[in-house]
Amino acid sequence: MKLAVSVPPHIKLDDTIASINWTKIAVLIPVCMVSIYVFGIDVLSILLISVFSALITEAAIQKLQNQELTIKDGDAVLIGLILGLLLPPTVPLWIPVMGAFFAVALVKHAFGGLGSTLFNPAIAGLVFLNMSWTVLMGVDSVPHLGQYSDIMLELGAGRLIEVSPFALIGGLYLIHKKYIEWRIPLTYLLTTIVLAVLIGEDLSYVFTGMLMLGVFILAADPATSPITKNGRIIYGIFCGILTVLYGYFSYNYGLAVIFTIFFANAVSPFIEKNTYPKPVDEVMA
Amino acid sequence: MTEEVIEENAQEDVQESRSQVVIPLLQHKGVICEPLVSVGDTVKIGQKIGSFDNDLGAPVHASVSGEVIALEERPHPICSKMHSVVIEYDGTQEAIRFKGNRSANKDEILETLKESGIIDLDGNSVYFKLNTGKIIDSILINLTDAGDLSSNFTPENIPQIISGLKILLKASGASRGAFVVKKDDGQTNSALKGKLGGEDDIDLFPVKRGYSSTMLNLLAYEMTGMRVSNIGIPADVGVLIFSAYSALAVSEAVLEGIPPININVTVSGAVKQPGVKRSVVGTSFREVIESCGGYVGKPGKIIVNDIITGIAQFTDEVPVTKATTQIIVQSEDEVLRDKPGPCLHCARCVDVCPANILPGLIASQSDIGRYDECEKLHANSCIECGLCSMVCPSKRHLLQLIRYSKHALLRSFMIREEKESSNLKLGCASCQSPCHMGAPMIFVEGK
Ligand code: SF4
Ligand code: SF4
Repeated sequence: MKLAVSVPPHIKLDDTIASINWTKIAVLIPVCMVSIYVFGIDVLSILLISVFSALITEAAIQKLQNQELTIKDGDAVLIGLILGLLLPPTVPLWIPVMGAFFAVALVKHAFGGLGSTLFNPAIAGLVFLNMSWTVLMGVDSVPHLGQYSDIMLELGAGRLIEVSPFALIGGLYLIHKKYIEWRIPLTYLLTTIVLAVLIGEDLSYVFTGMLMLGVFILAADPATSPITKNGRIIYGIFCGILTVLYGYFSYNYGLAVIFTIFFANAVSPFIEKNTYPKPVDEVMA
Repeated sequence: MTEEVIEENAQEDVQESRSQVVIPLLQHKGVICEPLVSVGDTVKIGQKIGSFDNDLGAPVHASVSGEVIALEERPHPICSKMHSVVIEYDGTQEAIRFKGNRSANKDEILETLKESGIIDLDGNSVYFKLNTGKIIDSILINLTDAGDLSSNFTPENIPQIISGLKILLKASGASRGAFVVKKDDGQTNSALKGKLGGEDDIDLFPVKRGYSSTMLNLLAYEMTGMRVSNIGIPADVGVLIFSAYSALAVSEAVLEGIPPININVTVSGAVKQPGVKRSVVGTSFREVIESCGGYVGKPGKIIVNDIITGIAQFTDEVPVTKATTQIIVQSEDEVLRDKPGPCLHCARCVDVCPANILPGLIASQSDIGRYDECEKLHANSCIECGLCSMVCPSKRHLLQLIRYSKHALLRSFMIREEKESSNLKLGCASCQSPCHMGAPMIFVEGK
């Protein structure tokens, strides 16, 4: 009889990197469909090109470095999809190619690949595009939730993601599955709303699809947020404060989320370092 | 071809060993016993066949009557191979005269416990735990360990467990005893409440989570609010924690004079009739599993004691020892074959860690040999519960990497001052201990 001998534990949870990433992608699919409905079938090409450029970049890099191909784990797809969703529908089709290449090659792989990225690749990609081709990246309109139905379908959306805050409700499922942890989304959302109300901001400008994406996917992105429990709460509050500050002075809550998280990513290691937990036992040796 | 040959041989072994028990001379964290019998001797049930005259020893007893046919190395569930006494049944069931003492005083109880060599599930002998010389003010019986509960906590056993607790109270001089029960474990709660009616010095302590036998320091902290040092034991803060099994065995040993020669083992997983089996110490796992109707399909892995931190066995010829509570059989397709990936920084390990440290970070530092960093991140506080490895979506071997760093740190203690570089460049200590598969039992815990 042959018995397997291995180190404990002998059962593990079923969740894998791939299941986490593909579930996140599934959560983003409804919003893609709504944006295709709102902006027409053309935006499908933006999304597809973005996803495929991300995939091809990742495959090429891993081939060149003789690494194992990991495109199946869905990380490149997720980066491409988020990047595509952050773009306005009017961009020329080479823009997502540039953005996805920058995100995957320079932000993800140059910094050590999956889990080691300093900035969220999709956000860094968008920031890069915004800096380099500001005119092309301009949006036609800023979303404004005039009536309640706009939560479902926002026709004044300037970017693909802004078409429907409600379509991102799947983020709650991610929290339920523990694919993202509740601390960052909760503190981020609460801080933003409370602060916005306190300074008398019109919530209908604050509460956009972009904020929902930021709360559920971007801020809670595991690699770029602190791993300590208290650190995550501070990070969430910090994101909320920055978003309201930026949005209040720039009147653009969409970009506020992007730059907030970009900046918060940069300070996240600092927050993490300063919030190391105290172990339960008394430390002697 | 070769495989077939191996299987045929295995078949013959079955025939030969049908009427043997193998009693390892080391079944606890401590010192190996000297055998008191030699090949050819006849032994009776309950006869002492090995002991070491020191507080670190725990005597072993014959669990069947018959002839000693060998004194040799045999497979051991925790130490891979260990010197053992092999006894062949003669079928007579002849036993020594067991002398119980219902009114024993403190010293008599301690003496009986020393002689009976009861091993608690954390691997320490009960006598050793009681005999620390520290002032004890309460004794807890941990009823949150699933394997222990299912094997030993049946309604019929409750009076015995309570009397075991009383004996332990008497032996330690503690004033209070308590049962630690999971809050949501309604069955245990109600079963105990019914029986605890007239006892004033025994309480029921509800806790939120389960504590396995490696988490006793944590349980002591939860109970007393006092932090136990990572090289300390619960007795440092005045509590002693025993399992239901120990309480049962203590009451049997003191009241009836029977040393632990029979033990309840829960068999679960891919066997035909899973359930609790009362087994003679020294029976092989194979026989226990056969008494459960045998394997379902081909077994893939046999795990002793706990599915999360238990040790996978390389053969089913290992004997049931005094600290075996659970045998878990996994079928071939249940065996994990995943490959570790990079850390996602998802922090799930951090959220689940009961010691409140950062397992993912420590493991990464351990992986690149930065044991100094591991120490700063409190690797030594890890209680090796294995939960972090269980939840990691990237399937990283966190528990092993952390253990590795702990071993390296342990070895670096003596030479630390002389080191100039901050990095302790050291290897794993496990190659020097006889056991590389789990917690080495020969390490003496404590000071
Ligand atoms: S094994 Fe992992 S979860 Fe358990 S105490 Fe150690 S680091 Fe924490
Ligand atoms: S659970 Fe695994 S992947 Fe997640 S932070 Fe811990 S080690 Fe990294």
